[in-house]
Amino acid sequence: MSLEGSPQPAGQAGGFHRIEFTGKASEYFGIWIVNVLLTILTLGIYSAWAKVRRNRYFYGNTVLLGRSFEYHARGLQILIGRLIVLAGFVALNVIAAVVPVLALLPTIVVLIALPWLVAKGLRFSARVTSYRNVRFDFVGGPGGAFKAFILGGLLSVITLGILTPLASRWAARYLGQNLRYGGKAFETDPRLGALYRSWLVSFLIALVGLGVIALLVLANFSRIVPMIETPGSLSPEEQIPLIASMVIGYIVLFATFGIAGLFYRAGVRNATWSTTLFDGQHRLLSDVSRRRYTWIAISNVLVTIFTLGLMRPWAAVRMARYTWRHTGVTFTGDVGELFSRIEEQGSAIGAEFMDFEGFDFGF
Amino acid sequence: MASKTAAIAGGEWHPPGSSRSVEARLVERGGEIAAVPAGGDKPLAGAGLSWVEVSGRVGSIPRRVTFPDGSIFETWDNDGIDRYLAARGRGGAGFVHWLEQFRLRLVVIVLIAFALGGAVYRWGVPALVEVAVWTTPPIVPELMGEGTLQALDKTAFSPSKLPETRRKEIADGFARIAALSPRGAGAYALNFRDGGIIGPNAFALPDGSLVVTDQLVEMADGDTEMIVGVLAHEIGHVELDHSLRQFYRAAGMTGLIMLIAGDVGSAVEDVLVQGGGLLALSYSREAEAEADRRSVELMAKAGYDPAAIARFFALIEEKLGDTSDTDILSTHPGTPQRKKDILDYARIVSGQSDPDLQ
Repeated sequence: MSLEGSPQPAGQAGGFHRIEFTGKASEYFGIWIVNVLLTILTLGIYSAWAKVRRNRYFYGNTVLLGRSFEYHARGLQILIGRLIVLAGFVALNVIAAVVPVLALLPTIVVLIALPWLVAKGLRFSARVTSYRNVRFDFVGGPGGAFKAFILGGLLSVITLGILTPLASRWAARYLGQNLRYGGKAFETDPRLGALYRSWLVSFLIALVGLGVIALLVLANFSRIVPMIETPGSLSPEEQIPLIASMVIGYIVLFATFGIAGLFYRAGVRNATWSTTLFDGQHRLLSDVSRRRYTWIAISNVLVTIFTLGLMRPWAAVRMARYTWRHTGVTFTGDVGELFSRIEEQGSAIGAEFMDFEGFDFGF
Repeated sequence: MASKTAAIAGGEWHPPGSSRSVEARLVERGGEIAAVPAGGDKPLAGAGLSWVEVSGRVGSIPRRVTFPDGSIFETWDNDGIDRYLAARGRGGAGFVHWLEQFRLRLVVIVLIAFALGGAVYRWGVPALVEVAVWTTPPIVPELMGEGTLQALDKTAFSPSKLPETRRKEIADGFARIAALSPRGAGAYALNFRDGGIIGPNAFALPDGSLVVTDQLVEMADGDTEMIVGVLAHEIGHVELDHSLRQFYRAAGMTGLIMLIAGDVGSAVEDVLVQGGGLLALSYSREAEAEADRRSVELMAKAGYDPAAIARFFALIEEKLGDTSDTDILSTHPGTPQRKKDILDYARIVSGQSDPDLQ
């Protein structure tokens, strides 16, 4: 590696460019295991620096037009942020444990503080990210975060998931419309129709899962009824099929809802990114296959568990490579021209030293 | 290339805060480090090595050299930068990067990480829990106890409707065993309450307040010794600080899982949390068994039937039809199993001479 490793200047042609992830599982494995080791050795203090190294590796290998993204947060900043959140959390729980009348206090405070922490965390994450020496910024406030995440979350729970696409749309718009790069705005507006098409498939998968569980309950009906009426009336032999069904039911529930969630997430990603415009003219695109995305996510978890975590670096690199490969930007006009004019805005720099990472929220 | 000029790496230079880039190379010239445009000779930026900031090496991601004027030189040529830094006695890529390289020595790091992880779980967390229990000021359990009892009185409980004489019998028996506890009788306070929806129950609060419900006393049907046995079990919970320990252990495990969450991914984190919940149940069952044994010891010392609490479990089996076995999802050991363990332990305790009585 010498001079031929240096990047080509950004292609002068506009048009469509995919993002590429250049990380390698073997390279990340070393970073990962040293992170784990030092985190254990320092009783968790190193975890802040571990996060910086992990993110620098992933951002630094995410390449668009031959140039990578960069992560600038410092370990100490992240540590201070974590300590502040932890101290608040401990104080609240101690108060709640000591004064049971205030048992609901932590929940209320978290509901009020969470939107603020989310907005702050998003701003932090955006400001410590740069591309071509210019940092991103996030200008969303706590009100928008409350509507997008807490109200949206409540809405989808209350309506048993039927209004989830509406919540997804709020969240996507909050994230997309408040993001800035070099003072220029992004805009995004996923169509409800597209979101509902994704949602319908997931909903059917979840229904299949619930159907299997209903069948299990029916099959054991003759055993469940006497158990409720006179507890202890079942002999241990009679309990075995019941316990087996419970375990199977639990696994089915976990698996089907997991698959449904992943399917939906991939659909939302496509719908959101593909309706995102930068500076009103450069269109982003996401074309992940929902089936492939779900398969990668699920096999990643299984491989990670069966190798006692040792294949986690491979799994993480595999997922990043797939998703970035299926993400791209269509530039209108001359790329070199575009990037020669983008300047960092004052607000995004300097402020980061006053900022703390309020709440870790993937940017 | 001029004789005094040594090339370090090729890359691109950015003016401060701008995405405009100029193809450039990094050179050393007369003790200064400078970015020079490709095909040009007039430096874009330059400074002494101690004035520039070079970003640390992670894998093979691009390196940034930040000049005092805020301009940036960026290069993918990590090795060139490291060679230059090492030659200037600046330590090259650094120790952490040396550890991270994909070499055979990683096997050792993997083994150490596994061993340490196991040790933290096996000894580290329990030791931290002990330290936390030791350093908890007594005011905390007191406040916890007071608050919980007040809250229960406001909601489920009402004043006891037991006759005074019956309460006195139980309180006298309780005083006999409480006096034998290392904390002394003053550490405990027995309260009678009508359990309402809670029904037949007895429990201890961390500050040493014990509560026994009218429904449990009625269920005992005059067997005072059995009730005392149950109260001895609750004294055991207080002596061994079970509620504090449980709280600290859960907090410690949650903290550990959260700290490595970033390195294992959210799905694996969920699996770990579920597993942690199952482990917490096993601790809860162990705590019940410890309190059972403490009941046997205290009852034997006080000259009662050491296995009195076993009668209570027999009663539960009979009245509530609870013959369930212990399984991985229960907070308490299975009732038949508990009865057997208590009887076995009672034989051991009464079989040996009690040193405290000599």
